[in-house]
Amino acid sequence: MEFNHPNPDKFVSLKNLTKRFGNFQALSDISLDIREGEIFGYIGPNGAGKTTTIKILVGLISNFQGEVSIGGYQLPQRKEEAHKLLGYLPQNVAFQEWRTINQALRTFGKLSGLIDTQVEEKIPQVLELLGLLEVRHKKITQLSGGMNQKVGLAQALLHEPKLLVLDEPLGGLDPYSRYQFKEIIRKLRQKGTTIIFSSHILSDVQDVADRIGIINRGRIKKIGTLDDLKARFKTKKTVEVLLVSKTEKLHGLSKIKNATGVDQLSPSKVLVNLEANADEAQAVFDIAEYIVKLKIPIRGINVLEPSLDQIYLNYVQEEEK
Amino acid sequence: MQLGLLFADELRGFYKSKVMIFLWIGMPLIAVLFRFISVETSGQDIPFTLVSTVVVSSLAGTLAAVMLAVFIINEKNRRVYDLFLIRPLKRREIILAKFLAVYLCVAIASFIAVVTGIMVDYVTIGSMSMAALADAGTSLATSLSMIAVSCSAGVLIGVFSPTVLVGAILVIYGGNQVSVIPLVPTMLNLPQATVFTIVLAGALAGVLLAVAVALFERQQF
Repeated sequence: MEFNHPNPDKFVSLKNLTKRFGNFQALSDISLDIREGEIFGYIGPNGAGKTTTIKILVGLISNFQGEVSIGGYQLPQRKEEAHKLLGYLPQNVAFQEWRTINQALRTFGKLSGLIDTQVEEKIPQVLELLGLLEVRHKKITQLSGGMNQKVGLAQALLHEPKLLVLDEPLGGLDPYSRYQFKEIIRKLRQKGTTIIFSSHILSDVQDVADRIGIINRGRIKKIGTLDDLKARFKTKKTVEVLLVSKTEKLHGLSKIKNATGVDQLSPSKVLVNLEANADEAQAVFDIAEYIVKLKIPIRGINVLEPSLDQIYLNYVQEEEK
Repeated sequence: MQLGLLFADELRGFYKSKVMIFLWIGMPLIAVLFRFISVETSGQDIPFTLVSTVVVSSLAGTLAAVMLAVFIINEKNRRVYDLFLIRPLKRREIILAKFLAVYLCVAIASFIAVVTGIMVDYVTIGSMSMAALADAGTSLATSLSMIAVSCSAGVLIGVFSPTVLVGAILVIYGGNQVSVIPLVPTMLNLPQATVFTIVLAGALAGVLLAVAVALFERQQF
């Protein structure tokens, strides 16, 4: 599909985006650029403004202040052109009850601009990818929540959109389907699709996102890579010691330089918590030296990277202060 | 222009959800049943054609308006429209496709009911006068005019009503009254009353639909 945007760094651009619902300020002066071909994770607590931002972006809310563009097309003025670039999976995807999977995809494929032969070619491909080919003639009402979500993703992928907007896409999916979804998202990135991925399941965002934006109370708090966020919201560093058998002797590790405490997670696993500014290499050396000195048999020592959950928790705690 | 696709899709929906079967078989059947309940008035035989037309116009209008309002409210509240609205189509096409599909289905049902009436009369009376056929045609035109107004009122109510219950109450108490407005020329015994009725119904339906479309265009999902 042809499109024309001046700057690949601003494939999606929000500038001073503001939205009120009555007395409630849903979004305040949000500015955000999303690069062509990147996966942008959008996280924040419930009611933070994620879905409102997404609804403005996909054109469901057209009454807003500020500037929004997709592929260089301003919304809402150039909505039709922008919509040709767009695939969208809403938080709670719903179809008319009389439809079968096949009929739903035929309609949405054609509405997205595909011709009959393209629709016939694409539907089996997308259904195969999502493991729905066998049930393509089943009625939507007979599908489980997870399968319904997959049909939702199928309709969003059918016309190979340049921009895929996923609002809490993994809710209600079993672990294997979540894995499948994330694999599909990664493959789409390889093909150059730009993806906006909103979720409150932070580990899912961490797994796929190139950059992450944190929104709270209608304001963007921070945008960056996971490493940027780690640097911004300083998290405790943790070293994991895997034991051969349980021992009480490791409690002395809390006395090494920059250690803040020791947690015995299981008989064979101990976590040594370090200050946020601790030198990890020095800490591993000190821990190893201590273990060797006491002749404690171990299976390994690992430095644990802080997860997005920990970063997010730090951010929330910082906000509360 | 996606109107044709959406219109065909709505018709497919009615076919799949059995609404069409109820309209096309159920309504003539109800009209036939009505014939046996009310076969005489003031000692005069009334041709069944006329009975079925009267039944159809009163039933079909209400049914069409309720159907449209309930479909729109349900689909709006279940967020079915989200996947349509994010595609390159005009919002008005969604509303117009629904209106046209319901109107066509109900119009065909009305036509079938009237033809059934003519056939029943032909079998029971043995013949049909041209005057009776002309009366049936006039009644059918009047019915279709009233149904058009009912349908557009149903669309408007569907667009602004928050719940199915509110929508159904408004259609039954409001939509029905509005659909009687095109009968004013007939009530006033104006010359060419049927033509006036059709024109008035067309204008009224157009205004109601335009308001519904304007509201739907402004709605924030």
